[in-house]
This record gives sequence, structure tokens and C-alpha cells, in this order.
Amino acid sequence: MTVPATAPGPRPGVLADGTNAWGRRYLMCPPTHFGVLYEINPWMHTEVTVDRDRAQAQWEGLVATLRAAGAEVVVVDHDPSVPDMVFTANAGIVNGDQFVPSHFRFPERQPETDIFSDWFARQGFTVDRLPTELDHEGAGDALPFGGLLLSGYRFRSDLPATTALSRLTGVAVRAVELVDPRLYHIDITFCPLDERRAICAPAGWDRYGRKVVDALVPEPLWLEDDEALTFCANSVVIGRTVVMPTTPARVGRQLEAWGFDVVTCEVGEFLKAGGGVRCLTLSLDVDLRR
Amino acid sequence: MTAVETFEVEGHIVDSLILAKILDLILDSGADYRMVQVDIGKTAIDPSRAVVEVTAPDDEVMVRLAEMLQVQGANPLTTGDAVLERADQDGVLPAGFYSTTNLDTEVLVGGRWLRAENPEMDCGLVVLDDDGGSEGAPARVRTLPMHRVRAGDRIVVGAQGVRVIAGNLPRGLSSFEFMDSEVSSEKPKALLLRNLADRLRAARDAGAKVLFVGGPAVIHTGGGPEVARLVRDGWIDVVFAGNGFATHDIESNILGTSLGVSITTGAGTEGGHSNHLRVINEVRRHGSIAAAVAAGFIPGGVMYECVRAGVPFLLGGSVRDDGPLPDTMTDVVAAADRMRDLVDGVAVALMGATTLHAIATGNILPASVETFCIDINHAVVTKLADRGSHQAHGIVTDVGPFLGALADELGAGRS
Repeated sequence: MTVPATAPGPRPGVLADGTNAWGRRYLMCPPTHFGVLYEINPWMHTEVTVDRDRAQAQWEGLVATLRAAGAEVVVVDHDPSVPDMVFTANAGIVNGDQFVPSHFRFPERQPETDIFSDWFARQGFTVDRLPTELDHEGAGDALPFGGLLLSGYRFRSDLPATTALSRLTGVAVRAVELVDPRLYHIDITFCPLDERRAICAPAGWDRYGRKVVDALVPEPLWLEDDEALTFCANSVVIGRTVVMPTTPARVGRQLEAWGFDVVTCEVGEFLKAGGGVRCLTLSLDVDLRR
Repeated sequence: MTAVETFEVEGHIVDSLILAKILDLILDSGADYRMVQVDIGKTAIDPSRAVVEVTAPDDEVMVRLAEMLQVQGANPLTTGDAVLERADQDGVLPAGFYSTTNLDTEVLVGGRWLRAENPEMDCGLVVLDDDGGSEGAPARVRTLPMHRVRAGDRIVVGAQGVRVIAGNLPRGLSSFEFMDSEVSSEKPKALLLRNLADRLRAARDAGAKVLFVGGPAVIHTGGGPEVARLVRDGWIDVVFAGNGFATHDIESNILGTSLGVSITTGAGTEGGHSNHLRVINEVRRHGSIAAAVAAGFIPGGVMYECVRAGVPFLLGGSVRDDGPLPDTMTDVVAAADRMRDLVDGVAVALMGATTLHAIATGNILPASVETFCIDINHAVVTKLADRGSHQAHGIVTDVGPFLGALADELGAGRS
């Protein structure tokens, strides 16, 4: 039942040098129709105006940063009916040539399921659907680490969906209950850095979830509560480069001490909707079976 | 009013500590649980599955708990009504019949959980109308030994809609739990004795019956007069035994020997080997033990006191019986049925120095009956437990002196 914590050789999702094997090819959606038009998390306030030009510039800055770090960026057109489509992390789960589309909790985002399913099918992915009655918000609530998926549940995803996800992907899942509505997805509380390390925001998890992560991650970078609320865990990692929406000084120092290059990328317009760098990207190169 | 609900949860519930969380939530809410089933996935990918029966102090707690458990992926196990099939001939259960345990059992019929009457192991379950017939609206469920099946009876088949309530195992007025680790001769007898006496007092105070099951060794070891005074003073309400127990009890009271050996001196007696046969022969001449008592032929003893006090007794026959006594029931199926009738209302069973009658009685007793097995041979207790009477407590000692001490502890008067 238990996956050995120190399996010999690189584990699935990790290269021989210990860096993540995934995170070098991203799906992104330009903020053509982005705005805070409804409120489905504590960060969203409809009275706040999004500066669309500024959002576009920040998004292009992120694309350039990712490409400069060696990543490939694939772009999907923004459907005007779904402003949050910019947050492609919530499109679904990629596992090799398999795509499991999200089932969104809130009606405002539910049309994204078909939009992304069609897109992935056109790209040649096999699209496998979760049972319709179960919600799961994709890579926003499930990130690979240690050869398995760490999945959050409560605010946006249902726990039984993780079982279905495991069946569909053939990958083991550890489920962590999220307890702070401000940290409503696992990707605001957890960022896999490499084979042994991850940024971890225990403020977002119940005591069982903390134990699960503690047992899973050999070298966690524990965030203080105020650090977690800066969205600094909502970052992406390309090899040894960490691209972050904000970088608390202590966090940056620790990452650099571990040998990472830290790049802070301004995405303030998107933080108005409760999304950072990770939320704006979906790794297309995750394959947990090899 | 306690509420009982069974929940099922499936997934990576062990490594994700979900199961631990669920169990903590149950206890924290003031409810209790019983693990009905846990299937652990073989690999990291295989999901595990757990079925947990939750007992909450009331419906309100259960509703709140159910909401919390749902977040953790645990949902009430939806179970359909029990499947019923009509017996197609007398004395034969439908194939696939539900085979009972001796634990309290409930059956879902028409969406209602009905408690099965007369819990008994190795039986079928029959659904009856209120009036005891087999037609119309179901109102009752009871256990049914195979031979009592009648064509047309509605019998429960399969395990769907059947649940066993394990919470009715007798637990401590005064604690016997400490001696349940294993059956052993190395236990403080005086303490066991006092605890047993307390149980008998509690049963008497509660208006419940005490059953005594004895083998002939009770008489051989000098325990006859002790049982007799327990019967006389109202500590024993029902007696089960065999032909040998009654025969040697009567023999010892008429001739002073048990199987020809003097009860007082332990010495053999001239022609003693036939003593018990002559006694049986004379009781047969009287027509019954009661008649022999009435005629003054039997002057004392356990059977005498039973007749005098109106304590019902059942003598179950066997192939090797001498005589037998006229009261010995040689139809074992009829004897078992009579035993079933007599165990109604019994709360405590004492079994002394008998393997066969102890097991026979254990087979028909509900698990809720506190059972004490007093035997010099610990294997008897083990055997009883191996045959499903897990509630049996063992007291490994010489039965005669122990019963004497028990009677003294209870203050039973000597004749």
C-alpha cells in the first residue's frame, strides 16, 4: 500500500538530476475576455476593476519569462463566455496522452469542461471523464509529487473524485482536506520543487493533511501563514527555475540556498481573481506512468 | 433513542489518513463505531474500502455526523430489503438461506429494521405476520431451525438487508473481563467465585432466569447436594442434563453411591456396578421421576428438588444411555426444541463438567446470555468458544467443591 519514500532511481515525474520531468511545456490562455465578473472565492470582488491592458501585459510577461526559462508555451483562444478560462491549471489533469477534464463546482466555470475537452481531443489526447456527479478542479487541486498526485478537497473538489481520478489515471492519490477558504485550491498551498522538495503551506490543511504531506515530502519549505497568503506557493518550476507571483524574502533565500533561480513575475491583475502563476498555466508534459 | 447507520468509504483512505479522520470524527461527535469491513488495497493504486457501523446517541447527532462524513467521502450504505424466498418443502430451507449467528440480528423488511426474535446460531430467518402466520404484512422475524421449516415459509436468503448487532455481548456489572485473556487454571478462584455469585444475584434481582447444565461428574465429585440446595433456594430456574446426571443423582440419594462408588467414603461397594441400573429400573416402574418423588422413592437430590420446587428440567438422551429414565427424551430433535422453549428468559447459564450438553446448550443460547463453563478440563471452554459460543467464560476447577463454595457464597441452606 505504501509507496517507499526513497525508491531507488528516479521516480515517475523526476529526471535523473532530481529536477521535475514535467513543467517544461505549458498551456496558457490570453486574458482577452478576463475580468472579475462574479465572486467564487474570497479574493474576488466584483467592484474591483481589472485593467485588461495591464492584465494582457502581465500575461505576456509571464509567457516571456517561462520561455526564457526554457519552457514551451502553447496558447488556447479565450472563449468569451468564461472569463476564468485564463486559469488553465483548472482545465483538468494531463497524464501522458490522457486528459481528464475538470468538473467545476460553480456554474460560472462549468462550460470550460467542454471547451477544454474539445481542445485536448483535437490535439490527439484521449479524454477520460470523471463521474458527472463528482467535482474536481484539475491541476488546481492535484499536483504530482513522489510518483503520485497530491490532491486537495473540500472547497472545489470532492474527496470521492480523487478515487475516480486514481482509477482513470492509474496513479495513486493522496488527498488533503483544505480548511482555509482563502487557500481554496491545493496549488495555492503546495508547489513541487524537485524530487525531494516542495513549498508547503500547512495553514491550508487540516492536521491529517499536514501529516500526509509531512510523510510525503522529505524536505518541505514550510510557509508561515502570512507568506502563504501572498500566493507564493502558486508558482511553477522549470528545471531549476522557480517562477513566482510574489517572493517573500525568506522564501527566496531558502530557494536560492537550494540552488534554484528565483524569478518574480508580476501578475497582480490576476491575483484580483485569486489566481497566480500556477493558476495561469497547465503543464502539458505530466506523465506519472513513467 | 440511539441511531444506527452504516457508512461506506472507498479510496486511498489509509495513506491519506481519511479513515483515521472519519473514526476521529465519529468519536468526537459522541457516537461510537464498529468496523464492519476493511479491505486494504494491495498496491498504492488500489483503493481501500471500509464499512463502518456508527451508533449515535440520537438522530440529531447522526444527521450532523452524516454531513461531516459525507465531506470525507463516507456515505450511508444503501441496502435493499432482505430477499425472501418461500420454502418449497417442510424441513428444508431454500438454498442460499441466511445462516444465523447467536448475536442479535436485524432484518430489513419493507424498509424497516426488524429485530429477529430468539437469537440462535445455525438457523434460518423466517418473516412472519403479526399473528405468526406467513401471509400478509410482515411484522416479525424470528430464527427458525431447519427442521421447523414449513413449505411456504418466507425465508431470508443471502446477506442483503441483514445486519448483526454485536454490541450485546454481556459486559461488566462486576468485571469478568480481566479473566478473558485465556482459559487457565491459574486464576484466583475466590475472586471468580465472588464475581459469579454477584452475577447470579444480579440475575435474580432483575427477575431473569439462571440455567444449570450439568454432567454426571458433578454427582461423582460430590457436587449433587450443592446443586440441590441451589435449586431449593431458588438460585437455579432451569436444569439441562442427560440420563447419567439424573441417574447418578437419584442413585446417590437412594443408595449413597454414584456409579457404584460411595459418595462419602469413595470406596467401591459390593455389586455397586449395577446400582444405577436398579435405580433406573425402579424409576421406570414409577413411570416418571416426579412420580418416584411423590411415592417417596427418591428422598432428595437435584431431581428431587426440581420436582419439589417446580423447576423445569430437561434430560437429553444419547445412544449409550442405560435404561433410560422415563423422563429422558430420546428424540434429540424434540429435546432441542424443548430446550429452545426453556431458555426463554434465561440470562445466566452455568455449565458444570459436561462437554456434550454444554455445547448443545451453547448452540441454542443467544450470545447475550452470560455463560460460565466450570470444568477441570480447559478444553471444554475452548471447544464451546470454537463452536461459536464466544460469550462463554471459563472457570477451570474441580466442579464439586466449586459449586459448594458457590452455594455457600450465596448463602444457600443445607438440608
